[in-house]
Amino acid sequence: MPAVQDTIDRVRKIDVDQYKYGFQTEIAVDKAPKGLSEDIIRFISAKKDEPSWMLEWRLEAYRRWLTLDEPTWARVHYPKIDFQDIYYYAAPKSTPGPSSLSDVDPELLKVYEKLGIPLREQEILAGVQKTDASDLEEPSDNVYKSGRVAVDAVFDSVSVVTTFKKELAQAGVIFCSISEAIREHPELVRKYLGSVVPTSDNFYATLNSAVFTDGSFVFVPKGVRCPMELSTYFRMNEKNTGQFERTLIIAEEGAYVSYLEGCTAPQRDENQLHAAVVELVALDDAEIKYSTVQNWYPGDAEGKGGIYNFVTKRGDCRGDRSKISWTQVETGSAITWKYPSCILRGDDSSGEFYSIAVSNGYQQVDSGTKMIHLGKNTSSRIISKGIAAGFSQNTYRGQVSAHRKATNARNFTNCDSLLIGDQCGAHTVPYMEAKNSTAQFEHEATTSKISEDQKFYVMQRGIPEEEAIALIVNGFVKDVIQQLPMEFAVEAQKLIGISLEGSVG
Amino acid sequence: MNIHTQPQRTPAETALIDAFGDRLSLLPGDGAVMLKRDDAIEAIKHGLPTRRIESWHYTDLRRLLSVVPDFDPTAMAKVFAPIVEGSAVLPVLNGKSDVKVPVLDGVTVQSLSEKLVDGSIAPGLDPYGSDDAIGALNTAFVADGYFVDIADGTELEKPIELQNVQAGGQTHVRLAVRVGAGAKAVIVERQAGDGAALVSSVSQLVLGEGAEVTWLIVQEQPETATHLAQFKAHIGKNAKLTLFVMNAGGKLVRQEVMVKTTGEGADFKLRGINLLAGDTHGDVTMVLDHAVPHTTSTEVIRNVVTGKARGVFQGRINVHQYAQKTNAKMACNTLLLSDDGEFSTKPELEIFADDVVCGHGATVTEIDHDHLFYLMARGVDEKSARGLLVKAFVAEVIEELDDETIVEALEARLDEWFVTHG
Repeated sequence: MPAVQDTIDRVRKIDVDQYKYGFQTEIAVDKAPKGLSEDIIRFISAKKDEPSWMLEWRLEAYRRWLTLDEPTWARVHYPKIDFQDIYYYAAPKSTPGPSSLSDVDPELLKVYEKLGIPLREQEILAGVQKTDASDLEEPSDNVYKSGRVAVDAVFDSVSVVTTFKKELAQAGVIFCSISEAIREHPELVRKYLGSVVPTSDNFYATLNSAVFTDGSFVFVPKGVRCPMELSTYFRMNEKNTGQFERTLIIAEEGAYVSYLEGCTAPQRDENQLHAAVVELVALDDAEIKYSTVQNWYPGDAEGKGGIYNFVTKRGDCRGDRSKISWTQVETGSAITWKYPSCILRGDDSSGEFYSIAVSNGYQQVDSGTKMIHLGKNTSSRIISKGIAAGFSQNTYRGQVSAHRKATNARNFTNCDSLLIGDQCGAHTVPYMEAKNSTAQFEHEATTSKISEDQKFYVMQRGIPEEEAIALIVNGFVKDVIQQLPMEFAVEAQKLIGISLEGSVG
Repeated sequence: MNIHTQPQRTPAETALIDAFGDRLSLLPGDGAVMLKRDDAIEAIKHGLPTRRIESWHYTDLRRLLSVVPDFDPTAMAKVFAPIVEGSAVLPVLNGKSDVKVPVLDGVTVQSLSEKLVDGSIAPGLDPYGSDDAIGALNTAFVADGYFVDIADGTELEKPIELQNVQAGGQTHVRLAVRVGAGAKAVIVERQAGDGAALVSSVSQLVLGEGAEVTWLIVQEQPETATHLAQFKAHIGKNAKLTLFVMNAGGKLVRQEVMVKTTGEGADFKLRGINLLAGDTHGDVTMVLDHAVPHTTSTEVIRNVVTGKARGVFQGRINVHQYAQKTNAKMACNTLLLSDDGEFSTKPELEIFADDVVCGHGATVTEIDHDHLFYLMARGVDEKSARGLLVKAFVAEVIEELDDETIVEALEARLDEWFVTHG
């Protein structure tokens, strides 16, 4: 188990409050004034060169937002957010529109290098150069080889670079920032934006609809299997900013796409807000696999600072036999409020949710999923593993429902929690609602600490306590790790190890 | 969504508030009791809970409670024959306790109105929290019931049956029982009657060190009654409580179970059967607090839903920070037999201690086709085969109670339900 050894090495090196990604980058920034008003929304829309329907859409959401109250039902506690004390738009000044990596501010590239994201990884870099040099050539076969990842990097509010665009375009796949999509593919955006998460959905989704500044857009046409993994890296850099990105992924009939998302933010004393919306649309026979490794800054050891992560993610299995799979590894953020869901509308569609939520320090996690069975013969599977350590609170909140016409709906849910230390809490709040007699729902949940027997068994073979615990924790989350794409699986294991430092042993 | 709205009082809310004004001079107790009543009606004035209140998510009382009948002091209710033969029966008829109650060794029985008048019950009248609508409703209107004290070391040979028999109108009853150290008792709480009534009934039980109690709630209200009940218990050191709940009637039913383990070695068992047919809305909501170390609990709930019935089970196990070595298990199984029926469940774990073993499981499904095939292959017709399987599914829970006379008595109630609801 080299990964486990590696995890332990990392754990030794890094303290709990030494957030690995806590650097800040000095880059000239273009910011809108603080606060939120119709003028700010007009400013954002104008900055983005948006068509008027988009501005109207935003304003409508804003007016709606003004009538809503902040939700309080989640098991998270935080001081009231002053929505007028946030910058809603911050863009790195130097990059109005990079055409290739070489045009990108080197400071920015350094950030990504520090993050160790695949953007600058050797093989991918080689790939970029090759594409640049051979613009007019036919796509080579190696496009379809695995191991290459196309990346869209979002810095504060703006997408700064998207790699592999040309190769993807040759396969018919559109992968670009959402602002670009609004300009260049308005018919697609207009058709699908807000069709899964409507502007009036909830407080944070409505806020996002009004002020979202960027995000990724993916369109995989009929019958196309996306030739490579797509990936977005989000980073919040500027002080007092909120990040409001919007991701829209559409897989047409028979299409397949696997999408990865990673997030980091610098270390700061104050709290920053992140309110994203992700919409997935899968038509007949399409499949979307969405993986997240969320590592926003969790705050220091005393619980000061950190990101408020209030995210709405929803997938719509609109077509028959479609499939949407969510995999998430949540290790960061001071507060996580996130429920990636599937609406199983098409007959024979299926939804999956695999989650690892690790909380340490004073982190608060309230996360889970919703599986809404509407079509016939739909199935869903939920595997959630929560690990609470330190003074953290870790809640699984999930809903499974079968509507009247959802004959033969099938769900299996398993949520396990592991407690490390006696100051933390682990909570399970599942909702099951069956309105059809042919529905078959199963739910099981357990909560316990690492059993003394297991620990003894491992330690008795000469493995020190700390390593033994890391080994058992890695075993505990194995079911979910297996669902992650290879490159992410290793990173996720390391992250879990880092997140738990200070609590083990 | 959560748009600001100015709630308008529903006819039921208005009727309750008006009824309080009318009844006020007739309600026993003053001073401390009166203050509690005032607080409680204030809570009701803020509105009955809606689905926006988490603990009422599946039972929107504001919407479901459409009619509040008037008090009917002249109505007559009759004592039932006890479920277990030879039980000492303490009846509350149309909201009034009986003055002539059987005398039992080691058992002191007082009418609750006495305790309200002398104010000694006042501290127990506080609702559970701001969302405790049943507690508030009962505190505001409670007029009678019983206070039963079972002395230390008393071992009762025959059960005590507390009967709350309504006769239409409104009935608000409280049944308080204290079981002394080392005492043993079987208590039956019978909820029945034959009117389109609004019933609120709160039972309070305190178990002393080493006490052992089996408490059976048998609810057989008519299809026109609204039954809002609460069972609250504190389980002391090494004490054991087995609570059995059988819901087999009513139009709108909510049975809350609020149990707290207060001494090490305390053990709680909940066994529940909810038989839901017709247009019934049946809700069992449990909150179990493991508040001290080394306590155990198991909960098994079986539900059968037919017709247009809607069933709810919410079960929350709270393990407090110092309650190490807690062992808690909960299971909720449901047979959903009709496409017009529905069942919602929310089994929660809320855990603040690390050295615990807690788990829950929940299933919702129809009858296993393999089982049905097995029986039908042996010449049993489909209807009987289904009946057999459904009955076996719930009877399993009854059979777990070791006392044979109780098992037989409950199975008889079960048979009766199956005869009427096929």
